[in-house]
Amino acid sequence: MTADVALQSISQSFGTFQALDNIDLSFGAGEFVVLLGPSGCGKSTLLFILGGFLSPTSGTIKIGGRDMDGVAPKNRPTTTMFQDYALFPHMSLRDNVGFGLRMKGMGRAARNAKADEMLDLVGLQDKAGRKPHELSGGQRQRVALARALAVDPDVLLLDEPLGALDLKLRRQMQDELKVIQRKVGTTFVHVTHDQEEAMAIADRIVVMNQGRVEDFGVPEDIYLRPRTLFTANFMGDINTLPVDLHSAEPGMTYGARPENIGLSGDLSLGPARLESTAFFGTYHRCHFRSTDDHAAPYIAHLALGELPQVGATVPLFASNVVALQAAP
Amino acid sequence: MRALSYAYLVAIFAFIFLPVVVLVLFSFQAGRLPVPPFDGPSLKWYAEVLANRGLMEALRNSLFVALISSSIALTLGFLAAQGLARVHLPGSVVMRGLLIAPMTVSYLIIALGLLSMFNVIGMRPSLWATGIGHVVINLPLCFAIIFAAMGDHQKNAERAARDLGASELQVVALVTAPMLKPALLAAFFLSVTFSWDEFIIAFLLTRFDVTLPVEIWSMLRSGLSPATNAIGSLVFLVSIAILIILELTVFRKPKL
Amino acid sequence: MSSIERAERRTAFAFVAPALLWTLAFFLVPFTAMVLLSLAHLEGRDVVQAYDLGNYVKIFTDPSLLKGIFVSLEITMTVTVISVLLAWPLAWIIATQVPPKYQRLAIMLAVLPFWTSYVVRSYAWALVLGQNGVLMQGLIGIGLLDAPIQIMATRTATIIGFVHFFVMLLTLTIYANLIQLSPNYARAAADLGASGWQTLRLVILPLTLPGIMTGAFLTFVLCIGDYITLQILGGNNELSMPQLIMLQLGRRGDFPMASALSVVLMALVTLAYAATARWLKMDRV
Repeated sequence: MTADVALQSISQSFGTFQALDNIDLSFGAGEFVVLLGPSGCGKSTLLFILGGFLSPTSGTIKIGGRDMDGVAPKNRPTTTMFQDYALFPHMSLRDNVGFGLRMKGMGRAARNAKADEMLDLVGLQDKAGRKPHELSGGQRQRVALARALAVDPDVLLLDEPLGALDLKLRRQMQDELKVIQRKVGTTFVHVTHDQEEAMAIADRIVVMNQGRVEDFGVPEDIYLRPRTLFTANFMGDINTLPVDLHSAEPGMTYGARPENIGLSGDLSLGPARLESTAFFGTYHRCHFRSTDDHAAPYIAHLALGELPQVGATVPLFASNVVALQAAP
Repeated sequence: MRALSYAYLVAIFAFIFLPVVVLVLFSFQAGRLPVPPFDGPSLKWYAEVLANRGLMEALRNSLFVALISSSIALTLGFLAAQGLARVHLPGSVVMRGLLIAPMTVSYLIIALGLLSMFNVIGMRPSLWATGIGHVVINLPLCFAIIFAAMGDHQKNAERAARDLGASELQVVALVTAPMLKPALLAAFFLSVTFSWDEFIIAFLLTRFDVTLPVEIWSMLRSGLSPATNAIGSLVFLVSIAILIILELTVFRKPKL
Repeated sequence: MSSIERAERRTAFAFVAPALLWTLAFFLVPFTAMVLLSLAHLEGRDVVQAYDLGNYVKIFTDPSLLKGIFVSLEITMTVTVISVLLAWPLAWIIATQVPPKYQRLAIMLAVLPFWTSYVVRSYAWALVLGQNGVLMQGLIGIGLLDAPIQIMATRTATIIGFVHFFVMLLTLTIYANLIQLSPNYARAAADLGASGWQTLRLVILPLTLPGIMTGAFLTFVLCIGDYITLQILGGNNELSMPQLIMLQLGRRGDFPMASALSVVLMALVTLAYAATARWLKMDRV
């Protein structure tokens, strides 16, 4: 099934360390939400709180409108996919996937049938009798997914599930996760530190840093119109522009992404010297430095064919300048 | 659940410590028998034990045998682990099996085998014979512990050292041994403990100069006495003291 | 193969050689000698080599000798089962109920009596279980008994003495296994709806089987080959195999028979190994 999730004023401290600071978020039923941030930002802590493995120091969690205060993981409408998968090594894949159903009291025939169905959903039906250690990392991850979905949770929590896979496999799994989520319609909350992964699969992204929410929105907004400097930096390269180039409001910085810096544009950055360049297939990644008093560095992505001589000084422009909240 | 757990914990600990408490308590017995009632603390049995030449010699012998046999076992085990870990040798599985094999054989049988063999070659029972037996039982242990502790981390460091011009001897002395220090110390410590406490091999392979467990055994033949409690408690308390010292100095988690 | 590789192999062999030689000379050769000796006979005061199974036939036909095998097996199996049943909860409690910073202390306390000498520990139990020992006087004192009952020199005393030792050993092996388990197993089980008991029974317990089997095997080997505890606590009413072996050696000087009994003992240990081998992972060493 599926349900909406509401996190109200969630705070979590461990002794003197504040892991989460007054988090307010709500996700719609059936959404694929990604919690994105560097290690230590609190995203996994938030996931554990959602799953019921941790009780928040303060705040309320509502899933489908129900208050989850004091509700143990086994009674919550959530299941978690752990980072190390935690597949029971002594059970076959079928018994692993059917475990949650067994806990619900389902008979052997019924749960074996459902388990096989779920394994078929992830493409491993033919290996149902095998043990986890006989499978590859990617296959084990799919079994973990099947096991978590077999009990029909309202919310599926994924704790950096793709971290252990190599790049190609990871991309493949990202697509598969998206497809499966669309098919079952469950709300997915997925934790990762990889911004490309977040943009590839999320309906909406929550950018977190040091226990706080930096930004929350669809991938396009997060990338093109980031709210804070941290978000802008985390999602990709950003050039911060010198203050006097724009009418500055207190506490705000202005920035432009490398693909929006070039030999023409809305805002003039003045003359700059090309210091070095590297070829990236579809563009040249160029390091410029302005020749005025600022000596400001710029990273620009110039199209093929537009490349000046290294050492030459050219007029530089910026477009799509965004206003960013600086660190509080 | 927690209350039930702690109740069980207390009950089991009581069972585990019962004989030790009785041992130590009645070593201070003023009367003649180490059984209740306990009349007043007295140190006379400790005095008697410390003055007992036979016991003190046995204690020295035990230490002697333990330290020497453990050193030999450690050296042999370390070299063997090094040799097998370095290069893949043909038949290494067989060699490893052979080195480990004595661990599954009862000490009694090892003692019997050595006794038979020494009889045949005309070697008399002695502390040296016992020492040889103790190396046999501790060598597999040292080998297993050190072999298990060898990893890529340390192999790469050895490669780097060789690359920088170190000779084999220097690599072993300056890189391998220091990196394996915890395993080496654990292996040595365990070997000393097993050797020090070992009875049946010592019993069958010594005649006149005996080790402490054998001497205590003889004391038992003459009935219950608080003197046995005293020597037993002494051995126990010294072992604990050494353990605490080791725990505080050597086995502390190293801050890497 | 290049000459560098050949030189490396020579060095490696040189390193392994001393240990191999020692094991060969002082373990394999004596062991082989012992097996050969078991095929000999004691006639008068001489050992006559006959290369027949006479001693073995005697072991399996002489009631007093055959009984020794059963005594050893019964006692060892009983001790192993009781020790596992007592040790597992203890290991589990220390691993999960005791706060992490006290766990090391708890496990060290649990095995502290290991550091009394083995002989001394059995002696201490003799003190506790004797007619006028602490246990008897205590039970009489609180009114549970009217008169002292005989525990010393019975199988019960032997089993108590053994269990005391092996509970500590098994607690160590099971604890080592438990703390290596990822905490996510228990979390996943709970997440999927398992109660505490179900998680324990269906997930945790099976995952500790390697630790249990390793400990059980060690218990079997050490217990079946032990002479001291049986001598001190068991008396001479029923003799175990080690006691029989020592008897053959001491009283009669019958090395061949002692050797044959030892070989039978080894066979029993090998059977135990075969039964528990797949959990032992000795090949990883």
